[in-house]
Amino acid sequence: MWVPGVGLLSRLMLSALTRAGRFCILKSGAVRLMDVPAGNRRGLSDYYPHLMPSVGFGKSSSRVYRCRSETKRYITSPRVAETLVRILRGKRKSCQLFLECNPGPGILTRALLESGAKVVALESDETFIPHLKSLGKKVNGRLEVVYCDFFKLDPRSRGILTPPVMTSDMLFQYLGIEAQPWSKGAPLKAIGILPPKNERSALWKLLHDLYSCTSIYKYGRLENLFITEKECRKIMANPQNPGLYQALSVLCQIACGIKLLHTESCLSFGTYTANGQLAKQKHRESLEQNLCFIQLTPHRNLFTGTLTPFNYDVFFHMLRQCFMKRNAKLIDHLHSLSPIDAMHILKQIKKNKDVKVIDMYPEDFQHLFETIECSKDDNYKWLYDDFMEDVII
Amino acid sequence: MSAVRWGRGAAGFGRALWPAGSPGLLAEEGALGGVWSRKRSSTASPCEQDRRKDWGHAELLEVLKARVRQLQAEGVAEVTVKRVAVARAPEAGGAQPPRQAQAGAKGAAATLSSRWAQKLDSDQQLMEKRKQRLEGKLQKRVEKGAWQKQLRLEPRLLSRKLASQLQHWEQGAPRSPWEEQLAQLLQEAPHRLSSEAAAAPADRGPESRLEGQRQRLLSFFECCLLTGHLPLAHHVLVTHHSKSQQQRLLTLSMYNMVMLGWARQGSFKELTYVFFMLKDAGLAPDLQSYAAALQCMGRLDQDAGTIRRCLKQMAQDGLQLQGLFTAVPLSAEERAELLRAVRKAKPTFTPPRPPVPPPQVNTSPLLREIYAKDPAVSYPRLHLSLKELQGLFQQQLRVEMATTITVESVEKVPLLTKEVLHARKTLAGLRTRWRTALYRELQETKESEAHAAREGRLSLFPYLCLLSEKEIVRVLLQTLQALPAQGESLLFLAHELGLRVFKRKQLRNEVQELEQRYSKYLHLLASDTQVAEPCLPRQHWEALGVPEAPHEQPWPMSVVVQLGKQLAEVLVRAAQMPSSLAAPRSPGTLIPVLYHVYSFRSFRQIGILKPHPAFTQLLETAAERTLTFESTDVPMLCPPLPWTSPHSGAFLLSPTKMMRSVEGSQQHQLLLERCPPAELHGALDALTQLGNCAWRVNGRVLDLVLELFTDKGCPRLGVPAPPSEAPRPPEGRQAPKRCLLPEVSPAEKAEMRRELARRLKVAREMQSLRADALYRLSLAQHLRHRVFWLPHNMDFRGRTYPCSPHFNHLGSDLARALLEFAQGRPLGPHGLNWLKIHLVNLTGLKKRESLQARRDYADELMEDILDSADRPMTGRKWWMEADEPWQALACCMEVARAVRAPDPTAYVSHFPVHQDGSCNGLQHYAALGRDSVGAASVNLLPSDLPQDVYSEVAAQVEVFRRQDAEQGVQVAQVLEGFISRKVVKQTVMTVVYGVTRYGGRLQIEKRLREIHDFPQVRGAETPGPAGRCPVAGGHWAAGGPDTGSCLCPPWGPPAGPMGASPPPQSARGHWPRAIRRSRGNLGPAHALPSPSPQDFVWEASHYLVRQVFNSLQEMFSGTRSIQRWLTESARLISHTGSAVEWVTPLGIPIIQPYHRDSKVMIKGGLQSLTFSSSVDTSQKPNTLKQKNGFPPNFIHSLDSSHMMLTALHCYRKGLTFVSVHDCFWTHAADVAVMNQVCREQFVRLHSQPILHNLSRFLIERFCSDPRTSKSIWVSRLTDTLLSVPKTGTFNLEQVKHSTYFFS
Repeated sequence: MWVPGVGLLSRLMLSALTRAGRFCILKSGAVRLMDVPAGNRRGLSDYYPHLMPSVGFGKSSSRVYRCRSETKRYITSPRVAETLVRILRGKRKSCQLFLECNPGPGILTRALLESGAKVVALESDETFIPHLKSLGKKVNGRLEVVYCDFFKLDPRSRGILTPPVMTSDMLFQYLGIEAQPWSKGAPLKAIGILPPKNERSALWKLLHDLYSCTSIYKYGRLENLFITEKECRKIMANPQNPGLYQALSVLCQIACGIKLLHTESCLSFGTYTANGQLAKQKHRESLEQNLCFIQLTPHRNLFTGTLTPFNYDVFFHMLRQCFMKRNAKLIDHLHSLSPIDAMHILKQIKKNKDVKVIDMYPEDFQHLFETIECSKDDNYKWLYDDFMEDVII
Repeated sequence: MSAVRWGRGAAGFGRALWPAGSPGLLAEEGALGGVWSRKRSSTASPCEQDRRKDWGHAELLEVLKARVRQLQAEGVAEVTVKRVAVARAPEAGGAQPPRQAQAGAKGAAATLSSRWAQKLDSDQQLMEKRKQRLEGKLQKRVEKGAWQKQLRLEPRLLSRKLASQLQHWEQGAPRSPWEEQLAQLLQEAPHRLSSEAAAAPADRGPESRLEGQRQRLLSFFECCLLTGHLPLAHHVLVTHHSKSQQQRLLTLSMYNMVMLGWARQGSFKELTYVFFMLKDAGLAPDLQSYAAALQCMGRLDQDAGTIRRCLKQMAQDGLQLQGLFTAVPLSAEERAELLRAVRKAKPTFTPPRPPVPPPQVNTSPLLREIYAKDPAVSYPRLHLSLKELQGLFQQQLRVEMATTITVESVEKVPLLTKEVLHARKTLAGLRTRWRTALYRELQETKESEAHAAREGRLSLFPYLCLLSEKEIVRVLLQTLQALPAQGESLLFLAHELGLRVFKRKQLRNEVQELEQRYSKYLHLLASDTQVAEPCLPRQHWEALGVPEAPHEQPWPMSVVVQLGKQLAEVLVRAAQMPSSLAAPRSPGTLIPVLYHVYSFRSFRQIGILKPHPAFTQLLETAAERTLTFESTDVPMLCPPLPWTSPHSGAFLLSPTKMMRSVEGSQQHQLLLERCPPAELHGALDALTQLGNCAWRVNGRVLDLVLELFTDKGCPRLGVPAPPSEAPRPPEGRQAPKRCLLPEVSPAEKAEMRRELARRLKVAREMQSLRADALYRLSLAQHLRHRVFWLPHNMDFRGRTYPCSPHFNHLGSDLARALLEFAQGRPLGPHGLNWLKIHLVNLTGLKKRESLQARRDYADELMEDILDSADRPMTGRKWWMEADEPWQALACCMEVARAVRAPDPTAYVSHFPVHQDGSCNGLQHYAALGRDSVGAASVNLLPSDLPQDVYSEVAAQVEVFRRQDAEQGVQVAQVLEGFISRKVVKQTVMTVVYGVTRYGGRLQIEKRLREIHDFPQVRGAETPGPAGRCPVAGGHWAAGGPDTGSCLCPPWGPPAGPMGASPPPQSARGHWPRAIRRSRGNLGPAHALPSPSPQDFVWEASHYLVRQVFNSLQEMFSGTRSIQRWLTESARLISHTGSAVEWVTPLGIPIIQPYHRDSKVMIKGGLQSLTFSSSVDTSQKPNTLKQKNGFPPNFIHSLDSSHMMLTALHCYRKGLTFVSVHDCFWTHAADVAVMNQVCREQFVRLHSQPILHNLSRFLIERFCSDPRTSKSIWVSRLTDTLLSVPKTGTFNLEQVKHSTYFFS
């Protein structure tokens, strides 16, 4: 049909077919139930290409918890644990609160408790829970063990949440932690090892939460201390090491102060399979790798400028788009980001027209974003539409 | 062209055909020749080597000469001639270099010279390119004729002998002494190639890729022929032929196609060239090749000798002369020419009669009665006279010739303010500008594509020429108009555009012939005419003329998308608007209207074409009130053409497929074509019959709906609200003012964002629903005072659907209520009763009462009914409470009219009354398995009250629950009192169609959530009582509860974006069990939390779905065993590497289109497009889908068979009958007859040994191949198939007396 401004019908036709990708099941499926007969199309037009089904990061996480086969990495060496505690705690004796994600055998937990800190252990593997609880026996309630997967907090789909997946609201209320304004310090520190298989996804999810001030960041400017592997070098990259420079680097550097605290060989860590068995280290290269212990402290003034949780998604989109073709010129990307004249924008941010994406420093991107967002003349600043992400696909 | 020249051509042609020896010796000689040549190439004698060297020198010399000439060359055309000269060079030297030596490049000289030749070639190409660039600069538009001159005509043959032969022929030289050798070679070539083909490893991967390229080539040639670019096709053929890599792609049908093109034009020389190439490629000409050749000779009036030689050769190739007239599709004119040629050689020849359809009789025992001549039947006729119908035909013809139809929108007329008028004027101005720009862009694109074609590439040029530029421009402008504000994925758009072109090109053009035939056909249907013998519409139509020419093959998917993408790019480049529309203060430069933006799904990027927001805004302001539909998307204005074959029927001019399938699958079309035509008669006639039902719009209901629609809508009644009712974001996508203030905390800003997103989402969903309703209502309004028809086709399982998507009887309650039969029928003695029963059925209130009780109930409520009919919107509104309110209202009105008629039995009713199968899928399973218990619960057994399978399952689940509760299962205890029919209904219904436990659990979960007093559910998360939408009371809702309208779609509040969970209210007490479990040593400050609702509902639904499955297992043991048998068979068939196939009891062949995904990529341009297709038959079947799909698809094929049988028998009895799958419609007066037919046919259908037939068919199809019989899968499959599930003791005849079987 030819009618202005109608988005759905064509999509309904898509959804009427058996394999129309994910969107129609999740998004317009309900709409279809309502009114439009499925498969009700004339003969020749029954051929629709379907988009490739996608595997999501955080965003499209499923209703069911189905990561039983994940492997996790745990701190198994008391020496490492002690080193970390020394770095973390310094000389302090105060009762600082730590959120430890997937402590596993609890080596670090014990070290932290011994240093006098308060620990909430979020363990996603039920097999460790009895052991962890036994650690808390003698520490006068300074240890709380919750069956919860930190990296799967607040899944996108609002279906049924079964433990260990839960919402941060549940968790924090349960822990009795009040939300703190952004400008205040961090109420607690989250510490843990990113799941080795999908570090990037976990980081993206964290950044989304951070920029949108949701999930754990609703409760304040949480400090994260993560031990990551290869991603560490990436998130610290800039145009000087273009090979590693990517959207994540920009987002991380804009949002947080990044500090590398400690580096440790992979050998000092144990990898466990789903059922709590100690797995053998398989690849030689993973033996040679180091784990970096970094500190991500969200900037206090992150949201004081133009970039706010209200429009962060545009910023995200801009970066993802730009880094899809990192070696292309910025101006080419601008054409599909904003209807505003690209030359004009470039002039305003004082870049020449041949500037490439990988030549832009994180601050440049922020500047670019602010320039477009604040442009006075134009009624329409962005081509981006959050609806796009949801439905088109 | 002179006759002399033709004479020479014919001689050459004859020589090319000339054989040596008798056909019986062919093979032997070929083999001998092969040995000989191989020997010669391997152990070449010194003398021969010398010769080869000489030849090498000669060639080198020639090459150098050619290069000199080339450097001097002026015109491009001359260059091509030189290239041919090079090819000819060695022959001129009189040597015969063996083909192998050249191909293998063994001789040093040969390699050297070939390198030279390469260099020459590349230089030529370079020069050509340079030249063309220059030309392009000099004149933008090269005239068509100019480049056609450059096209290559003469082939470069790989076989030297053939080449020299060709050359001799060209030069008109007398026959050379080694002509016989040539003949030998001619025979040798095909043989050698075929042995090569056999030896080639069955490497599937590249082979399938080749197949794809071949399809593209074929459709390219076809398209060239269609658009009159035959020289171009020839050129591409020659180019491909001359490169051995590309020659592999050429198939016989391609040569034939180009030959046919030349034959039609009567160009003998070119035809002969192709014939040479064909021989050169080692292919054996077939009937079509000879038909083309002879046709051409006929046209040119060749002498008899040549023709005789040709015929002789044909006979030697083992082809029958008769075959030319029977097996080759020809138009009448072509036929005449062909005959003329043949008669020259054989004056007495008479062609066989055009294939008179032999007395084709459908063999299915189920259909014997339908096609029985005795007892004489009188089929129903329409209520319209011949004249009226002819008038309607003319109207429909006009609509289809225009290809689109413009319908006035039923949206409220906007106030024609200055703003609106200005916007409309701006739009009109823009459109004029775009039209010009589009013409220009299109021409440029065509030019560059033509250029690519000239270089021998498969370009889109012929496709772009299919439609006139004007038409393409129109299509593009409409696309731009229809582009949604949020954009459309480029892939989708490209596909749509490509298909649109394809469909338009297909339009038939023999309008006059059609008109005459149709007019005669109408004698069968009109009210005031007679036909000699009553027969079915299809039979009548077939009697009126010969079968039509075969349909065209659809284009490969990649071509469709590529073409569409090209067009989309044209649109992107051409559509521009002044920047002042977007930013008032900007200088008046032009900015694009369309932007190519990206969206991200995970880490994958998806290209989207998005209009500039200002343009969307402009369209909105202009509020134009016309909607444009494709002519095939609206109902027909005259009775559809009867279905006579899998691809002819329904619309007058636009071909429609009888069977639609998933995503461009071809396999089912092939199956249908291979199937003997008579086997399809059942399906063809049933579809024709369904489409022949005349409809009209129920005007009173439409008025009421429109009233609501133009006002504020009423989502509860299925009338979507207008956008003005939607929650508006404060300032568009721009941030609300507060967002810019630094003192607002980030968390608040995040909340604002969520709120905005939520509003946008609701608004957009509403807009989509609104648009859908707008189409339907506008079409209804458009058709208000007319009679119309809904042509039908079917899906790959045989289920039938109307072809027009927006307005048909398959839709929602509202859509159904808008339609009634155009033909009326007096109610008769029982009609009124059926109306009343139907009304009560529509309310959904008395499901478990007898028919008598339902009727009595209607009598009790007569006052309410009359009130609803008289004052629907102001009265007591009884109808609004019904399950299907609009249909109930329509029925109320009909009852009121009937009751008030002086004689209700004589009241002429147009109202369709429905009879629904009760859980039709289970009915078929129960009948298949003769399962007494199951049969009783789905009303196959006569009973006083309707049985309700859902209640029974619920009861069974309750039994299990009680047992569990007694044993202390917590979940079972909590569920006490919550297990109802409603909770289990959907799951039971869908189990038949293969719902899994996972899906079933989700369904039950949804139901549990709807029970608002389900224990321990947090208030905030529970949706309110049914029908009330929780958002309605919210802060952005307009429309109070009194109007009954709320803003949310009826399925509940929209889910928020990521992380947008509503913050928990004060509740501090609900905690996941796991937390509780691990709470251990919490301080006393924390209260012990109780389970969260989610947790609980999850557990309960999990428990319930298990019990539902167990109960079904208990009650329908036969069903489960059949399901398992089907699943297992499908799994094994899939493992043997085939897709599951079967034949329905009516004879329709069915194949499941589920294969593993194959990816197709189209590069270049705006963006590379990648899509995956699951219907690629060269891929292995997708086992999971094949196996999960088989049971439901098989049952669907049975229910469709039942429906078709009922339809055909009803037609024979003179009834009006339509169906929505397992819901049968007819006039109130005829319900009793339809019910009887429906039961009888069900019994007839299941009296067939359906499962045994299936088993026999599958064994024959999949297990009889001796080559695979050793495979473990096949032997397992045979075992499985042989063990057909045992049946129970149910006596099928009892169905005939079951009142509630369909009710």
